[in-house]
This record gives sequence, structure tokens and C-alpha cells, in this order.
Amino acid sequence: MFKKILIANRGEIALRVICACKELGIRTVAIYSEADRNSLHVRFADEAICVGPPRASESYLNIPAVISAAEIANVDAIHPGYGLLSENANFAEVCETSHIKFIGPPPEITRMMGEKEKARQTMKKSGVPILPGSEGVINSVDEAVEWASSVGFPVIVKASAGGGGRGMRVIRNEEQLPDLFHAAQSEAAAAFGNGDLYMEKFIERPRHIEFQVLADSYGNLVSLGERECSIQRRHQKLLEESPSMQVTPQMRRSIGESLCSTLTRIGYVNAGTVEFLMDENGSLHFIEMNTRIQVEHPVTEMVTGIDLVKSQILVAVGERLDSVLPGEIEHRGHAIECRVNAEHPETFTPSAGKITAFHTPGGTGVRVDTAAYAEGVIPPYYDSLIAKVVAHGKDREEAMSRMARALDMFIVQGIHTTIPLHRQIMADPEFRAGNFDTKYMERFLERHKETKAEKRSA
Amino acid sequence: MNHKELKELIEFLVEKDIAEFELERGDVKVRVKRGNETVIVAPETRGAPVPVASSAVVMPTGITAVPTAMPTQAGAKERTEESGLHIVKSPIVGTFYESPSPGSPPFVRPGDEVEAGSVLCIVEAMKLMNEIESDVAGHLVKQLVTNGQPVEYGQPLFAIRPK
Repeated sequence: MFKKILIANRGEIALRVICACKELGIRTVAIYSEADRNSLHVRFADEAICVGPPRASESYLNIPAVISAAEIANVDAIHPGYGLLSENANFAEVCETSHIKFIGPPPEITRMMGEKEKARQTMKKSGVPILPGSEGVINSVDEAVEWASSVGFPVIVKASAGGGGRGMRVIRNEEQLPDLFHAAQSEAAAAFGNGDLYMEKFIERPRHIEFQVLADSYGNLVSLGERECSIQRRHQKLLEESPSMQVTPQMRRSIGESLCSTLTRIGYVNAGTVEFLMDENGSLHFIEMNTRIQVEHPVTEMVTGIDLVKSQILVAVGERLDSVLPGEIEHRGHAIECRVNAEHPETFTPSAGKITAFHTPGGTGVRVDTAAYAEGVIPPYYDSLIAKVVAHGKDREEAMSRMARALDMFIVQGIHTTIPLHRQIMADPEFRAGNFDTKYMERFLERHKETKAEKRSA
Repeated sequence: MNHKELKELIEFLVEKDIAEFELERGDVKVRVKRGNETVIVAPETRGAPVPVASSAVVMPTGITAVPTAMPTQAGAKERTEESGLHIVKSPIVGTFYESPSPGSPPFVRPGDEVEAGSVLCIVEAMKLMNEIESDVAGHLVKQLVTNGQPVEYGQPLFAIRPK
């Protein structure tokens, strides 16, 4: 077993990893920027090292500083969390060279999955369904027109080297194509240093469904089921749940088998999430794979009873899958997670500052993952996620009623949060009925603007 | 190594008038340097600091960078800040070395005059030796860390009375 792990992250996920390490008897080393000096992850780690000034690029993303901290603290392994350096293949390689175990897949796998177009082709060759699209990078407007005609409008062009909505354009007809194509290229080149684009069929009303996998280093892999993540705003997930009402047991089984054979063949190790879009006909299409633990992992933990972060550590130490996950994988009940952000619930402007009152909900079937606390300060330098409220029930109805109750009893004063927004979503008939796709939030916010306007004029 | 053994060891060193001593056993590392500073760093068990006849630095494996375990840093900083001294802080994470190579004389000693840009020390990070330069000219009053000590970003290294 590892004696010491350095957590190359901050906030709630750093605390999450510390929890897993404490339970495994592993000493923890936290790194922090000057802005995070009074953070909970610093408080609860056994050792803490300041690695730089507030800006992430000079601290948490500063590879020499992070590795140097790992060396002086003499750690055995680094857990990268999510975001930050978690999918940085160079960082994983530097860890290897420094004889520090990187808790995640091998660098080549991270690199391959990071090149979106390569990942698509790899999955396609193994028989995993992907959206119809270009075979590789598109080199000219003419090629783009050809592909679009064969695939059928609407299409979307995407950056091969990155994501997060940048270097992406939806193209609905041939007239729009040249301008949008060039715009996407420049944006991609500016954001990722690489203007390569590929093309995919665009689904107007997709659902975002992802599958959690875990693999050991001996070629064994298992799928732990899916999460439904269609409730998004500007490509950022707000709410996730499991199981998806759209996935039948047969689909779950067949996707699971398909992922198992594909990912073991390419040599995947540790935790990962495979993202799909479901079209209006209910067919799943691979879009990308995230080679790390995800924000919404608690949803899967609640329905399967598996501790995913502990499992990551055990796999990294060299344990076999059947000892990390003994017995059958069972899915029990339904779980929902709401991401609480430090943002105004209507305008979404970030709300950094000091929290003056903080009371988290508890009780049956409710879990809160957070690194916020009363009198704590939310700094302006990092993302706005301050807490994840996860509710589990015997079915979706109970999970929703537990979530509504939990949100009612979650007090945060001193900053704005999106708790009121989540309460509205929990009460929304469309959400409750399961009628949603990735455009849901747009429609929801429109409806609420209209209701407010009506109320004002009444 | 327990309290009793540690106490006996230190008494032995004092008796034999040994100035510097280093021992590594299991997961305890003891380094004793007898000099002007009385520095006591609480060991990993967070027990009461070991009473010593003279100065001793007990270093658990890894660094004790948790704020409660760094009384010297806080103490030195308070005293020096009060007297208007300029503190040179480490710009990187790494290991502090006071000389260019093992065995060679230190770059600077308390009492030296330094210029802006004078090399004060090395902080080694990832096998690279980074020379740390003074940002002011003045009189070097105090060295705040010991040779071979791990340092974090922003850690106070030297106190200088500016000209």
C-alpha cells in the first residue's frame, strides 16, 4: 500500500481524495496556492505545501512546483483529481520519470483519448457506435462540404485538440459552412494551439449519457453503469442522475460488454467515463472519453455502493479488479446530484466572498461533498463549484423528494448560490416527468423568464 | 525512537560536546546542530516537544510544513518584521542549500553585505539547482532556514536590513 499520496488539486475533490486516503491509512500531502491557505483540504491533510500565488497557472497547474512538492514530501503517488492536471499526459509522464505513481491511466492512453478525433476512430474500429462524421481531420472547406453532404445537415465541426465548447460550430446548411468552418478553425487554433477540425452529425435534441468504467492493470475492466447528464447550461453540467430513464437493462449490458472489450484491448487502466449522445431514436453514439474521476462520481457511488476513489487508489497500488470489487455489481435505487455553484441563481454571475452562515442538509439518503464552511472565503480564482448535494432513494420519486427536502434545508449566506435554481428544477413538471434533453435548461430559463414577466405585469 | 532514547542521545551529544550530528533510523530522522538558535519542531506524534539541554532539530520523514509545527518561522518573522527588515522569500518549492556544493563555503553568512542580485542560496527543484538572488542591497541579518531543509513557495529564507 502507498505510504503517502500527494493530492494535486483543491476544493471538494481534494477533500474527497483525503477521505479515501484516511480510510486506507495513507498519509496525505496537500498542495495549495496562497489563496487557499485556509482551505479545508489543507486543514485535513497530514502535510501541506504552498506551491504558488493564487493564479492556477502559477500554482496548481505549475508542473515543476507540484512535482517539487511531491519530491520534498517524499510521496509514493499523486492523485490528480478532476480538471487541472488530471488529463495532462505530460504531467503523467513527468510523474513516471520522477518515480511517482500517477493514479490514472498510462500517459499514452490519456494522450490518445485527449485527441478527440483519434479517440473516435479508435472506438469506431472496435465496433463502438460513433456519430456519422468525417474520417479524421478535415483539411478544407470543400472537404467539409463533401462530408456534410454525405452525413446530412445539420452537422457540427469540433476541435480535435480540445473541448469545452471551443472550436465548435453547428452548421445547418451549405451557405453557412465556409464562414463557420473558418471561425471554428481560428478559435481552435487560439484555444488549443491546433486548428484541426473534424465533423460529426449534429443531433438537435440529444441526451447526454455517460458510462463509468474501472479497470485494473491486468487487463480486467468492468462497467459500473450510466449517468444521465442532460441538464446542462453552456456545456456545463448542473445536475446528474443514475440510472437513466432511457437506458434499458439490455442496452446497459450490451454497451458494458462493448466498452469492456474495446477498452481492455487498448490497455485502459483505472477509472474513466465514456460519454455518449443519445439521438431522438434512442441510439447511443460515442463522443469522447474522460480519463479521470469525474465531478459526478458520487451518483454512481450511491447506486452501486462502491467507493470509486478508494478503488482508484487500490488499482494504482496493483490490486486486481476482483479484489477491489468483489462480487456482483448491483444497482440499487436512484440517485440525483445537484451541483451548487457560487453564482447568482438567475444571472449566473460568479459570487466570490465570505460565507457567513453554512448549514448542510443530512438525514437519510443525503450526502453533501463540499470544502466550504462558515466564515470560509470562496476565492475568485477558481471554478465556482462549492458543494455537491447527492440524494438517493428507492426510486426516482423518492430521490427527487429527498433532494427537494435537502435543498430546502441547505443554508448558505454571504454569497449567492444556485440552490434556488435547483429547487425550481426539482419542482419542474418537465424534469419530474423525465422530459428533457441537453436543451432543457434553455427552455426552462425561457419559461421562467416568461413566468416572471407575467407576474410583474399581473 | 522514543522520548527517553532521544533525551539520552541529546544528553550524550552535549556531554561529548558534539556540534553536529545526524541519524536516520526507521522512519525517524534526527539532526542536532548546537548553536545559537533554540529550535524545537514537534515530531509526527504531535506530543510535547522533547526538553533539550541545547538546541536540537528533530525532523520526521517528509517535511512538517503544517503551520503549527513551524514555531521558528513564525517567531523569526515576527521579530524581524517588527524591526523593518526585508524578508527574502523562496519563489519556488524545493530544497534549500546554503552553498554551491556540499562541503564548499556558504554563499553568504549573517553579517555580510549583499547587493541586489547577489546569489544568496540555491533551491533545488526536480534536480535543477536554482540560484536565488537578493532583491535588495543591504546587511544580511539572519538566515531563517537550515541547510537541506525543504521549503515551500513564499517561505522566508533570509532577513536583510536594506541600505
